[in-house]
Amino acid sequence: MRNPKIRGLIVAGATLAAVAASAQVAPTPTPSTRPGAARPAVVRPTVGPITRPPLPGGPGGIDWAGAVGGLRQSGGGNSPVGRRLDPAAVDKTRLPILLPADPDLMGGARIYSFGDYYSITANLTGARVSLTGAAETTPLPATSRLTLLNIGPEQLVIQRTVDGQLASFVRYGVLYTAELRCDAPSDPRCRTDTYVRSLVAKSTVVVMGKAARQAAGLGA
Amino acid sequence: MRAPLIFLILILLVVLALVGYNSGWFGSAATGPSPTTAGDILPGAPVGPGAEPDEPVGDGGLEQLPDEAEAQGPVDPVNTPDVPAAGTFGHFPAGELLPKSGSGYLDRTTWSPQLCFPFAEDAFANSQVYGAGGGMGPKDKPSQCDASNYSLPWRDNFCESRGHASPLCANGKGHQGQDIRPATCKKDKHWVVAAEDGIITDMGTYTVTLTASAPPHRVYRYLHMRMNQLEVKEGASVKAGENLGKASNDFGGTPTTIHMHFEIRSGVAGTSTDGKPVKLHTFLPPYQSLVAAYDRKRAGQGCP
Repeated sequence: MRNPKIRGLIVAGATLAAVAASAQVAPTPTPSTRPGAARPAVVRPTVGPITRPPLPGGPGGIDWAGAVGGLRQSGGGNSPVGRRLDPAAVDKTRLPILLPADPDLMGGARIYSFGDYYSITANLTGARVSLTGAAETTPLPATSRLTLLNIGPEQLVIQRTVDGQLASFVRYGVLYTAELRCDAPSDPRCRTDTYVRSLVAKSTVVVMGKAARQAAGLGA
Repeated sequence: MRAPLIFLILILLVVLALVGYNSGWFGSAATGPSPTTAGDILPGAPVGPGAEPDEPVGDGGLEQLPDEAEAQGPVDPVNTPDVPAAGTFGHFPAGELLPKSGSGYLDRTTWSPQLCFPFAEDAFANSQVYGAGGGMGPKDKPSQCDASNYSLPWRDNFCESRGHASPLCANGKGHQGQDIRPATCKKDKHWVVAAEDGIITDMGTYTVTLTASAPPHRVYRYLHMRMNQLEVKEGASVKAGENLGKASNDFGGTPTTIHMHFEIRSGVAGTSTDGKPVKLHTFLPPYQSLVAAYDRKRAGQGCP
């Protein structure tokens, strides 16, 4: 160690070895923590933050004036479309119910209402249609971005699903969906968005039950 | 002068060896974080290649038509988020997909905080397409009953490369849910249960849709159960944890692998990649909710 060159080389070598050793440490494994235990606060610029469970947005924001206009345009509630829906479920729904102007499709439709959300199911030969309306949406984390190639009027977005096509759009401040699901994956109606687009295009019939009429200021 | 030179060469060799090991030059590189209990097999899951003869898998496990199949996704080995996820069992973090199967969704939101684990028994979340016996699986593991499919660690496969729309995925396409294999490689044996209180709002030829009663009314979709032996019908009100049917491989006449494809959908408000605010009904990553639910189940907590 009397030679300073040798000493310098040893120090440099040790430093290199230490750096190499630290480089081979695998990323932190998933820890064994008990449910509810505090997670370590690790901040990584390339990773989205750990977020709390999202709080749903409020049910406000329904454009009742617009919905009443839609109701009037579609016959003031006298349209034959939707007449065979369960009236109790319709009355319970605090949203403008939006239906396609297709009496054949809607003739055997079933409605399931949760008050601030409804789901309607109808049968086609070899396929089924679902229509939903929701007052609430859940906010996505600020770090998330939606990769949507095409957003149409009324925020129309069409997504190819495993078994069909899912369209969603916003009207009267309500998030509506129209979904087609086919029994056979190869059914051409489900392979392109033509059918579901036509379903959205003819979704013009507004139906309001007691709860919706009250909310719209129409009385029950 | 020779001694320092030899020492320097030795140091360089050691450095090269360590870097090479870490980069996988020797064929055994770490491909991601090592889960806590990687390789563990849960009790009650004594499966392996001989567990049940494999059926031919009609779609190769892709759940889509061949002409719609998405090419293998970009190799993304650097997406190895190391933010720990809570858990008492072996599982990779959310977003950590199998190598060369696409880019995962890295946000760690638990979208369904009170989710009831959708199997009555133990189950294994992993990729049914890129895992053993899948259409894009390893060629040296042709059996879907391979023990690797029925052992820990769990693996996220939301956003795995597929041709279906999935706007939260990096390129707007990807797997829309999580594949979960039942406790053993036996179809029509293991119960699938309701994830929340709700109503069965639709049943297709290989799909069951459960809409939750409580806001925000998440929609859970279960695919590939034994459809002619279901415990529920459209319109049925169900409680969280109630039996719906048994895990199988139904897929519109052509069988897929024995697994349950599990989706969570909801109305969301967000921003598009070009900065536009948008509301839509779409697919949310189930993995983090499933991990939390499985933790609760393992801790003996019932479904809420």
